[in-house]
Amino acid sequence: MNAIIGYYSTKFGELWQMSLDDLIDEAVSQVLKKTKLQKEQIDAIFFGNMLGGVVEENLLIAAHIAEKLEVNIPIYPVEAACASGGLAFQMAHEYLKSNSNKTVVVLGAEKMTDVSAENITKALSCAASSEEQAVGLTFPGVYGMIANLYLQKYHYKEEHLAAISVKNHAHGVFNENAHFRKYVTVDDVLESPYVAYPLKVLDSSPISDGAAALVLTNQKSKISNQKSSFILSSEVATDSVSIAKRERLDELKATKIAGEKAFKTANLKRQDIRVMEVHDCFSIAEILALEDLGFWKKGEGGAHAKAMSTASSSGGHLIVNTSGGLKAAGHPVGGTGIKQIGEVHLQLTGQAGDRQVKGAKYGLAHNVGGSGGLTVVSSLGS
Amino acid sequence: MKSPVTIWRKQKRDTPILGRKGKIVTWTKIMVAPPKFQAFTPYVVVLVELENKEKVYGQLVDFEEKDIYFNNKVKSVLRRSASVSQNALIEYGVKFKPL
Repeated sequence: MNAIIGYYSTKFGELWQMSLDDLIDEAVSQVLKKTKLQKEQIDAIFFGNMLGGVVEENLLIAAHIAEKLEVNIPIYPVEAACASGGLAFQMAHEYLKSNSNKTVVVLGAEKMTDVSAENITKALSCAASSEEQAVGLTFPGVYGMIANLYLQKYHYKEEHLAAISVKNHAHGVFNENAHFRKYVTVDDVLESPYVAYPLKVLDSSPISDGAAALVLTNQKSKISNQKSSFILSSEVATDSVSIAKRERLDELKATKIAGEKAFKTANLKRQDIRVMEVHDCFSIAEILALEDLGFWKKGEGGAHAKAMSTASSSGGHLIVNTSGGLKAAGHPVGGTGIKQIGEVHLQLTGQAGDRQVKGAKYGLAHNVGGSGGLTVVSSLGS
Repeated sequence: MKSPVTIWRKQKRDTPILGRKGKIVTWTKIMVAPPKFQAFTPYVVVLVELENKEKVYGQLVDFEEKDIYFNNKVKSVLRRSASVSQNALIEYGVKFKPL
C-alpha cells in the first residue's frame, strides 16, 4: 500500500524574500531532512504549479528544479489551476501503484505576490473559459454568480456564507504556517468590501506565496521507519470549464463524481471521516463541497454553515479545514492541494499540535481547479 | 494585444447570439477586474438563458439598479467590450440590456 511518510510546508503568506526557486528548495530539502532521506533515494518528483509560466516566465520547470536540486531523475510538472497540487498527488499515487519499490516527492508551490492584484487576477483568469474572460468575468465573479444563485434558490443571506470564513479563521490561529492567524467576526466579513457580489474580501482566499512537499513510498522498510498514513484512494473527475455549459449551477459535478469514487475505492462511509480539508477558495465553495461530497443535503448547507457544526470547538464528529482552509492558511494555488493532504496526514499521525483532533483515523482532502472544471478527492487512513 | 484574427474568429461566434431575447439566470457585480476591464468597474455580468435554452454570458448595460434581478428579461446587443491601447483594434462583444 502507498504511504505518506513525511510532510513539510513553508510558511504561507507574502514572502518577499523568497522566489519560486527558494520556496521549492526549502520544501524539498526540509521534507527530505524530516524523513532522513538523501535526494539519491528519491525516484521521481511530481510538481504542482499553475503560474510559473505566466508570472515567473519559467517554462520547462522540471529542468529548473533539476538544476536547483542537482538531480537527473524524472520530474513531472502538473498544471490544473488551483488543483495542480491535488492532481500531482493523484498522479504520484498512480505511479506508485504501477511501480514497486519506489519513493517519490510530491511538491506544490506558487509565487503570487510579485505582481499587482489586477495582474494576478488576469493570470488566474487564464483558467476560466474564453467566454468568461471575454466579458470580464473573474474567478470571484464566477463564484459570485454561483453564490448569488445559491442564496436566492435556498433563501439564505450573506451571513450564512460569512460563517465559513469565521470558522476557518478561528482554525487558522492554531496553524503556525498560516497566512492569517487572527480571528474575524461575522460583522468583519459583512463589512469588508465586495470583490464580486455577493462575495466580499473576507469571503475570499488570499493571494499567497508558499510551498509544501510530501514523501510517498511503497517501500515497506521506509514506511516502518516513519510516522505514516496510508493512501486509501485518490480520484479525479473533470467537467466543462465554463459554468454556462453545466446543467446545474448550485453544485460542482466533478466533486460529486470524484467524491463517490474516492469513497467507493477506499470502502469508507461518510461517518468514518473525522477530519477533512475542503477547497474553500470562496466561502460558498465550502458549502457546496460539503453538499456535493454527500455530508450535507443539497440546499441545507447554509444552515449547517451558520451553526458552525464543523468547527473544532463544536464538539462535532466531522471537523473541516483544521489548517484554516484556503481562507486563513492562504492559497498559493499549486501548493494548496499538497497542504491539504499534509494537514490530514498530520492529523492522522497525531502531529497536528495545538489543532490536533482526537481520534482521527480517516480523513479526506478535496481540491478544486477553476470553478469545478477538475476536482481531486483523496482519502487517507492511519 | 489580441491579433485581429482572434477578434475576427470571436465575432463569428458572437453574430448568431445578437438580437436574441432571454432571462437572467444569475448575476454578479465585479469590483476587482483584470487590467483591460478596470475602467468599467463596477460592472454587472449576467448569465442569460436564451429562448432556445442556450446559456450565454454578457455584461449588463443601459440598466437601473431595479433591473438587476433573477428571471428579468433581457436582449443581446453589440457593444465595445474592453479598453485597448490606442493602436490596438477595438474589441466589440455581446452585452445585454433589459427589455
